[in-house]
Amino acid sequence: MKHLVYLIIGIALTVLFFILSCTDGFNIWEQMFFNQGYNDKMFSLDMYPVIAAITILVAWGGAAIYYYAINSVKFDRWYHWLAVMGVVVVLAPVVCYIYNDTVFANNGLMYVGESIKFEMQTVLFAALLYIVASYSMRWWSSNCRHTPLPQ
Amino acid sequence: MNHRNIRRLVTLLLGASFLACLCACGGHGQLEKAVRSALVRGDTTQAVYDSLCSIVTDNPGKYSDLVTPEGKLDHKKMSEYIADLGSHLRPPIYWDTRRYGGVENLSLTIYFERSGSMVPYDQRGGGGQLKKAVNDLINHFPAGSKVDINIVNDGIYPYQHTVDEFLKDRDIYQSTAGIGDASYTDFQLIFNKILEAQRPGNVSVLVSDMIYSPEDTHGVSLDKIFNEENSLATRVFARYKGKSVVVQQFMGDYSGKYYPYNGVPFNYSGKRPFYLVIIADSEVMDQLAQDKRYSGVLDAPGIRNSYRFNQVTSEVPCRVLPEWKDNAGRFRVKHGDDIVLTKCQGDRQTGKLCFSMAADLSGLMANDALLTNADNYDVQSIDGYTLVINPVDKSMFTANNKEYLEGMTHVLTLTGDFKSPRDEVRISLRNNLPDWVRQSSSDNDTQADGSFATTTLGLEQLLGGMFDAMKGGSSYFDVTINLQR
Repeated sequence: MKHLVYLIIGIALTVLFFILSCTDGFNIWEQMFFNQGYNDKMFSLDMYPVIAAITILVAWGGAAIYYYAINSVKFDRWYHWLAVMGVVVVLAPVVCYIYNDTVFANNGLMYVGESIKFEMQTVLFAALLYIVASYSMRWWSSNCRHTPLPQ
Repeated sequence: MNHRNIRRLVTLLLGASFLACLCACGGHGQLEKAVRSALVRGDTTQAVYDSLCSIVTDNPGKYSDLVTPEGKLDHKKMSEYIADLGSHLRPPIYWDTRRYGGVENLSLTIYFERSGSMVPYDQRGGGGQLKKAVNDLINHFPAGSKVDINIVNDGIYPYQHTVDEFLKDRDIYQSTAGIGDASYTDFQLIFNKILEAQRPGNVSVLVSDMIYSPEDTHGVSLDKIFNEENSLATRVFARYKGKSVVVQQFMGDYSGKYYPYNGVPFNYSGKRPFYLVIIADSEVMDQLAQDKRYSGVLDAPGIRNSYRFNQVTSEVPCRVLPEWKDNAGRFRVKHGDDIVLTKCQGDRQTGKLCFSMAADLSGLMANDALLTNADNYDVQSIDGYTLVINPVDKSMFTANNKEYLEGMTHVLTLTGDFKSPRDEVRISLRNNLPDWVRQSSSDNDTQADGSFATTTLGLEQLLGGMFDAMKGGSSYFDVTINLQR
């Protein structure tokens, strides 16, 4: 039951993150980095939901692969979990940057510097979501349920 | 990895994919994406609109709310859909697509003054500016528009030939010789007849030198004539509510006899002003100003000055420019219907806050000299912001600010010391009878000297009378910007 509560809280936090990525008034992506022209284009071209979805997919996908695909006693130490997190925090901003750049290029826009600064946020959000996903799904892993911290 | 774990993994990935699909496939999908892209790129042409329509017509089942019961595209709903989507963008973008939807053309009725002092404007040896202005006017209406031509002096008489013959006519006064009494022009009768005859969707244009020359003025003082002229203009136009009038001033070659008021006629060769008086219902005039099918009607190349009577205070589209060379200090634009700048900070070195807005002032039908002169504006604020206005030119465009400048005509730059925690900057462009009317008016035309080439007898009194009848709003437009620390 306790594990199910973790899962539900994890999903709720992820959905909340997604919702706050789509809103106009308070947008979670505009709190740490804001450049009026860049962020306006992101909003007008409806890119925030896609960026959020990519981040969620990579973070939850990374955790799922670690706990259920890798799922080996050989890789059940905290630094193995951290290594996967490293892959997630690199992969998520890279994919988001490619997506950003493609959409901007298709619309004749150029925001290289802003995109790089913006993706620093993706690093942070991907890491947080990876932790949330890990604590949501680790309990049902046969070999890595005690990673990163035994409970 | 056992089967149970594979099942869990697949379930998780499916869940995540479902989440991704939810955000990617909502709403109108392909159409929404295409509309957003067109608006952000500022690519708002008929070709793009047609491509959007084809997305709907290729998949009428998916876009059933944009299709009529007969299965055809509903242009009105399409227009509303685009307007709604545009209003939710940052900044909101309005694309008027109504003109692409098969809206019926306006009709044009021309009233060509044929008085003695008009004949020298269209001599074979002259530049033909008068005829060109009228021909351009006809050609600026879309093909297929209904066009009627009348000759006016003591009354209104239909032109007996076709529009094509009129366009080709090299001496319009020769071919209309003998029509009516060319010795006087009764503006009261003419304006009354024009206004009475006007039907919805019609644009009437009087081509005239705007010299009031009523019958039997022997021994009547000029002041008396001016007063009569002024009050008749007020009386006539005050009777017809909801009308709007645009007076356009042109310059043309004049060669022939000039008939001064109560003076001896004399020969004059040189430039003289003439006028196109465009009369229409206010909403038709708004359409002329905004509908691109009629571009050129109100901003024809030869116009020297113009003024629109009975212009209500307009809503002017404005967009704050986030990336602009003159910007100083910091601010963040709050998105919504009002213009609100939050988190404002003055420049670290100077303490000044400077921000610019792009505005579309084309619908105001005011000339650039009036629009770009900051003295014509009232600017009110606590911190004493000052205003500079510059016309938009293509060199200002960059890929990143194109969305903000597209469709805009002027950049309004405000600068002030940012001291108050909250400030409200109010800008309004005063709507007065423009200076050019006074400068183009004379009270003596007995000799062709001084400013004779650029002035018209009693113009100020005639247009002043019209202004009293059709004052419109006290300002062309008002904009309020809220500044918050």
